[in-house]
Amino acid sequence: MQPRRPPPPAPGPPRPAAPLLALPLLLLAVQGAAAPTGPEAAEWRPDTGPPHGLLRQAARAALHFLNFRAGSPSALRVLAAVQEGRARINAKKECTVDLVFTTEHYNSEEGEERLGKCSARVFFRNQKPRPAVNVTCARLMEKTKRQQEDYRLYKQMKQLRNPLDGVSIPDSHGHIDPSLRPVWELAFLGSSYVMWEKTTRFLHYYMAQLSGVKQWETNDGAIDFDYTVLLHEFSTQEIIPCRIHLVWSPGKPLTVKYHCQELLAPEDASGTEEGSAVAPTELSNF
Amino acid sequence: MGFPGWPPPTSNLGRVLSQEGLLGPSVSPPVLPRHQVLRISVADEAQVQKVKELEDLEHLQLDFWRGPAQPGSPIDVRVPFPSIQAVKIFLEAHGIEYTIMIEDVQSLLDEEQEQMLAFQARASSTDNFNYATYHSLEEIYDFIDLLVAENPKLVSKLQIGSSYEGRPLYVLKFSTGGKNRPAIWIDTGIHSREWVTQASGVWFAKKIVQDYGRDPAITAVLDSLDIFLEIVTNPDGFAYTHSTNRLWRKTRSHTSGSLCVGADPNRNWDAGFGLAGASSSPCSETYHGKSANSEVEVKSIVDFVKDHGNIKAFISIHSYSQLLLYPYGYKKAAVADQKELDEVAKSAVAALTSLYGTKFQYGSIYTTIYQASGSSIDWAYNQGIKYSFSFELRDTGRNGFLLPASQIIPTAEETWLALQTILEYTLNHPY
Repeated sequence: MQPRRPPPPAPGPPRPAAPLLALPLLLLAVQGAAAPTGPEAAEWRPDTGPPHGLLRQAARAALHFLNFRAGSPSALRVLAAVQEGRARINAKKECTVDLVFTTEHYNSEEGEERLGKCSARVFFRNQKPRPAVNVTCARLMEKTKRQQEDYRLYKQMKQLRNPLDGVSIPDSHGHIDPSLRPVWELAFLGSSYVMWEKTTRFLHYYMAQLSGVKQWETNDGAIDFDYTVLLHEFSTQEIIPCRIHLVWSPGKPLTVKYHCQELLAPEDASGTEEGSAVAPTELSNF
Repeated sequence: MGFPGWPPPTSNLGRVLSQEGLLGPSVSPPVLPRHQVLRISVADEAQVQKVKELEDLEHLQLDFWRGPAQPGSPIDVRVPFPSIQAVKIFLEAHGIEYTIMIEDVQSLLDEEQEQMLAFQARASSTDNFNYATYHSLEEIYDFIDLLVAENPKLVSKLQIGSSYEGRPLYVLKFSTGGKNRPAIWIDTGIHSREWVTQASGVWFAKKIVQDYGRDPAITAVLDSLDIFLEIVTNPDGFAYTHSTNRLWRKTRSHTSGSLCVGADPNRNWDAGFGLAGASSSPCSETYHGKSANSEVEVKSIVDFVKDHGNIKAFISIHSYSQLLLYPYGYKKAAVADQKELDEVAKSAVAALTSLYGTKFQYGSIYTTIYQASGSSIDWAYNQGIKYSFSFELRDTGRNGFLLPASQIIPTAEETWLALQTILEYTLNHPY
């Protein structure tokens, strides 16, 4: 573990978690609405309903947001199945999706199925990122058990001694050493924030691999660590490296700061994206 | 005193090398010519003390596996060759009984070492090849040669070209005879980072030879059709995923005027080439290449398929997403055979899911995954190869490209059921 990190420059005010925006939505005949442009555009016809892809997209956005807000690395969820949904698009090509879907534990062994049901409303602002999410889920894990698991993970993180920055998690063969599992789960929690922020109507992300992990000592016993995550964006198939700094204590709100590299061409200026957040203390859904 | 890393209890005799003793291939273990292991029986406390005296004689270099304790407890000691005479004389002089447990320690070690090296190094047959792990290009090419050598009547190796960096492009041909029979094409690993696909290709190859003559379905297929299987369709990319960047997708061709390397071999086919659904930027993961078939890895397949002229099904295997796709990707319009392809996909997916419950979706590329131009199965379909399908294997994002090796065999097994469905359908629906 590194000695206490040097104090960072004073961060800007944390961005608020995106609230649900109540907009006057025009229920247009979808056929008449201009289809969204771009290579991934699909036209909807009223008779066929919204493309299944749109519902899954909304579900993923909702889940990233949910995982971040819950702040619990032992209660992370992934999408199991979309059950039903509908979507509306307005004149500005902004899209509201209402859906019901089931989830599973991220950390579960294969075959273990406990399907927590969720309902969500997700609002995509055309091709812009940071979809607005309002999501409610049935509990997958009892609160006490979740707290115990979080605390266990916390202790495991604190016990990690070896320098980790040369290590890739998972390795090339997809293997994660059991002692490094907590690192992966916490990193997934932090990455959820980043993935939610970057998700748009057409872009969605998965976490591919971690490297460059460095853990720092803290005064207050919090877990404080930096890592590089390679995010896989599905529709472009691009791999996006992001440097993430995460501070976490069981039961306390999560702090995430990040810096992603958008690699386009070495000749062009590479774009970067930054963001930070502190999860609100009120976790109204849980 | 003794050699480090030696295990104490005699119960480990069958595995002389302990965990600590399992040395990597680059380190050679100590060579122990004709050391013996003696088991000493001490009758009383006096004898225990005598053996302890022996222990103190450092120049003898004795290695007590089970040290002197009390009467009744056997004492096991490894004795180096130069000390054997002296120790035996000592014990006999004091009336202490002993037996020789291991005549020659080195020979035991040699056997162990051989087994270990065999496991780590090359498989000597496709029966001791490890299908449950990911392999290097060299190991896969060795596997191919072994498979052909073991099944010369059924399997042959063709070279359809060379990669950009000069690596051979090998295709396995499974055939029971005939002349230019109708055939099925299967490729895995066109995108190099999708490691479960090459690993599954290896498994399929073995499965075919195992099942021919035993399983009626595959036997019927091979009695009338040939199967062509290209396991490492993008060897340059694959080598790069091992040496440098595990998440490399494209070929390794150089584009003049750009520092970026590689084109997406699944955007390089001559079907809607360059249209929306591919990138014109050389640095992009979906860069279509400077022209259709500019990538030699693609051109080699195109030439092979055209020259063959009798391919009836064309299947490209990718990961991840758990999908079974048919054309088109470059445009939304349904193919003429959409209804039939959809039915075949439906039953193939049902077969796949029946094994482990793995859920797959199916449909055209455009409507199921995203718009993609210049893809292999669009080209194949437009060539008149009706049964053109693309798979996206496990998983749905939890592990993505870095699928744990423990899932290789289950993935291959379930996928094989879907492939079999398509193979049988092709057999039963000649056109």
